[in-house]
Amino acid sequence: MTFTLQTVRVANVLNEEGMLVFDKEQQLLAVLTQLGDQYGDLSGYWYLEAGFGRAETRDPPRVGDLDAAQRWIRQRLAGEH
Amino acid sequence: MLPAASRSDFNPLVRKLESILSLTDDERQALLDLPMQMALIKEGQDIVREGDRPSRSFAVLSGFTCTYKMTGDGRRQIVKFCIAGDTPDIQSLHLTVLDFSITTLTPCSIGFITHEALWNLCMRHPRLTAAFWRETLVEGAIFREWVLNVGRREAYPRMAHLLCEMLVRLRVVGLADDRGCGLPITQVEFADALGVSTVHVNRVLQEMRADGLIELKGDRLNIPDWERLRQAGDFDPLYLHLRNEQAVA
Repeated sequence: MTFTLQTVRVANVLNEEGMLVFDKEQQLLAVLTQLGDQYGDLSGYWYLEAGFGRAETRDPPRVGDLDAAQRWIRQRLAGEH
Repeated sequence: MLPAASRSDFNPLVRKLESILSLTDDERQALLDLPMQMALIKEGQDIVREGDRPSRSFAVLSGFTCTYKMTGDGRRQIVKFCIAGDTPDIQSLHLTVLDFSITTLTPCSIGFITHEALWNLCMRHPRLTAAFWRETLVEGAIFREWVLNVGRREAYPRMAHLLCEMLVRLRVVGLADDRGCGLPITQVEFADALGVSTVHVNRVLQEMRADGLIELKGDRLNIPDWERLRQAGDFDPLYLHLRNEQAVA
């Protein structure tokens, strides 16, 4: 499954760089943010800020890069939890 | 050896029970005379596990522990942080099987007391039975407050509320001063207690720092303005049912 990515600024307290993830019908699946330097050990990771539908979770993952984030979303859409 | 009256000052179990019920000298002495098997336990060790059928209970004498439960797929929810003076598995005196686990968050000093010794104590001192009963009722009140906190408050007031509760409970057993307390709880542990991600915990703590509500340095938490933190956390210590609320708030 191919996703479309679109950069965005997220208006949380740290005004982070984010990414919107759409499916091929241009439906919004997830909002990711990249954690900045102020997060210490967590900085640089991509974090699932919000997921929709099957990508909604109580346990938002943080992953090393956008490929890993898309793999995670793909697995969720395939019904793997 | 110190006289009994002084020893009680250092015994967190006595101090904790006295925070919710007045004790006579006899009752205080009976608690101090309880036969306890002491153990020093490293951090990250389970003291008891869900499904255990213990023949003894324990008092936390120093260090931080937490009570937790796990989902079927292995995700942890911390349901209470337990500190010096707490007897977090005393329910096993009446309920045979434990429905939760307790682990150490720091190196801990633990005093194990056999159920037989506890039964004897309760037979001889009905008011101490009432004290332990009261203690478990207060614990129920704390759980109710946590359900409210985790279920209905946003992450920022949720964290503020937890910090207020920890400060008050630590003060009861003499482990907090006017400025704050030692609070060796990691961001992962906060996340597991508050039902949010570690990223969210990190963010909320940064925000609270920026707002001047807290100062964190290592394991030390300072509260520059108690009233502001209390308001931010929508915190009312009523549910802790302390005898002398003014002394701790």
